[in-house]
Amino acid sequence: MYSMEKIAAEIKESARDLISGKRVDLVIGYEKGSLALRSRPCFVSSVEDAGKLVWNSLCTNNLSVYLPRYVQKGPQKRKEDVKPVRVGIVAKGCDVRSIVGLVKEKQISRENVVIIRVPCRGVIDRAKVETQLKGNEVNEYKEDSSEILHLTTVAGEEKTFSKEQFLADACLECELAEPEDVDIRISGTAKQTFPNRYERVREFEAKSREERWQHFKKEISKCIRCNACRQACPNCFCKSCFAEQGKPRWVGAGTDLSNTMFYHIGRIFHQAGRCVECDACVRACPMGIDLRLFTQKMVKDVAEAFGYIAGLSAEEKPPLCEFGDADGQGLITTL
Amino acid sequence: MEQGIIKKADAGELIAVLGGKYIVYGPVKDDEGVSLSKVGDGEDITFEYSNFNLSPKGLFFPQSEVIYTYDDSVEAKESLPEERFIVFGIRPCDASALLRLDEVYKKSSPEDPYYIRRRENAVIISMACKKPCQTCFCTSVGEGPAAKAGADVIAFDLDDSLFLEACTKKGEQLLDIWSKLLQEPDSAVLESKQRQAASANGKVYALNSEGITQKLQKKFESPIWKEISQRCLSCGACTFICPTCHCFGINDEPCGSKNRRVRCWDACMFKEFGGEASGHNPRGMIDQRLRQRIMHKFLYTAENFGDVFCVGCGRCINRCPVNIDIREIITEGTQ
Repeated sequence: MYSMEKIAAEIKESARDLISGKRVDLVIGYEKGSLALRSRPCFVSSVEDAGKLVWNSLCTNNLSVYLPRYVQKGPQKRKEDVKPVRVGIVAKGCDVRSIVGLVKEKQISRENVVIIRVPCRGVIDRAKVETQLKGNEVNEYKEDSSEILHLTTVAGEEKTFSKEQFLADACLECELAEPEDVDIRISGTAKQTFPNRYERVREFEAKSREERWQHFKKEISKCIRCNACRQACPNCFCKSCFAEQGKPRWVGAGTDLSNTMFYHIGRIFHQAGRCVECDACVRACPMGIDLRLFTQKMVKDVAEAFGYIAGLSAEEKPPLCEFGDADGQGLITTL
Repeated sequence: MEQGIIKKADAGELIAVLGGKYIVYGPVKDDEGVSLSKVGDGEDITFEYSNFNLSPKGLFFPQSEVIYTYDDSVEAKESLPEERFIVFGIRPCDASALLRLDEVYKKSSPEDPYYIRRRENAVIISMACKKPCQTCFCTSVGEGPAAKAGADVIAFDLDDSLFLEACTKKGEQLLDIWSKLLQEPDSAVLESKQRQAASANGKVYALNSEGITQKLQKKFESPIWKEISQRCLSCGACTFICPTCHCFGINDEPCGSKNRRVRCWDACMFKEFGGEASGHNPRGMIDQRLRQRIMHKFLYTAENFGDVFCVGCGRCINRCPVNIDIREIITEGTQ
């Protein structure tokens, strides 16, 4: 039994308590979207508005991307008169790891964030539903407690599917390990770990260098440089991204393959030891680029070389900021 | 020739008879679904698609375009595009969007010779919509699923045959080339075409956009921008997939031993877009940028060119990573 309604009710209750008890100024959660298969970020600052909050398998966004906008940072700003905004945030397992990452990298201060952790059983990949329904758009979505989806198409047909069939790749490979440091735990059981983690990365690694290069080229050539992957990523908080810097100009603005590849290589490498595989980049991409494979390769490399998984503990030093005797030497390559 | 009908199975002959005088872009199936691609030899165009992920604007206003190259000598070499092409199967909204781009790049001063040459070299065959998408709202912005604006020829998909109707002189000339392949339509065909158009028209989502331009004049300081932009990630996905967004930036880049001046799409949703040389950014905040995008579409262009720069294709609604729905903004704007 996994009741979406019960979880939604608990989220609302927590939000009301936090706001009425003046523990936070704002709660970031999800509300019903404008399309049947969308839920979207929602910003609640009054007890009445808390009624808008929802929970379902369409709550895909990693809301921690918004936190640096609200949370007063430590050392840079010392203006006594700036009162920090205290934020309550609805977070799935991977989102909690993102928050830990933001704390670790000093983008937010933990004491101004109230983490409302929801037991996540995976989110739905809209594209998978669209492929399955072959162009029949969904008008109404319902999910019952045994994780069966009831989708009504625009033509009025009702179809039922198991949720598992449409789970996002990120959720199918979810590691589930979660930081303990959360403030409010919504009751319920999260989904168990899946055994096929890194399977696609291993397949990719087994390919020849030329094949890997061709695959990278093929995926990246779809890119239109809209920057949605970067903007949706909680890790991409730089005030000035290398992609736009002019002195020096690291990467051209156009869609030449060399520019596009350089942008992505930069973006992917900057995720080393930081990516929590929430797949915000993948979902944001309007061109359906399989960014997951590349960032996951990074995650796997870091795990193998340094035994480090991002976002589990705010105290643990980032692997690239520390030298350890046990660090793997495999990353030092000779041609 | 003004109109004619051909069996869909024979549509390939229309291309063959052109004898390579025109390059043809049409709906072709690929890994990602159906995209507007060059129709090669033996490749079949498909009629099973709703709309393309990307608008056709890139065929006339490429995402990155080398304006000229230069080296130590100051003499710049520029070249105008020569290829003649047919764009087959774009939807009426996208065809109409080209008229908006004409306003900017053809009818305004200074004229854009690259854009104008491509427009002159192209024949547009639009394909009337049978089954509008959930996100379509063309009828609310003065367009329609069978509207002819912007098309040289409009095609109707009538089950096993294709009805072609010339809308301009250029279109008539093309149908003349095809006259041997086309049959005169009987009254039953004309009737079913009318019926299809009317039925599609009724299926398009309708909203009240009455007076949006006048009302936006008073909304510059409205709190709605801050409210909506809370969710906005400030990526440029909406602008790059939009058929009418047309902003660009000029970049000088090294290219081997030479340099080149490249014009690339740019977007008001990017933070750097409004940046000034002094370091000041008049649109440094997301709400200012979101407001600019909406104001530009529904107010500034309406004042400057007499038409709103939104054709209701719904791409931005579908692709926005955080489900910002332009229909809701229009509704808010008309309050």
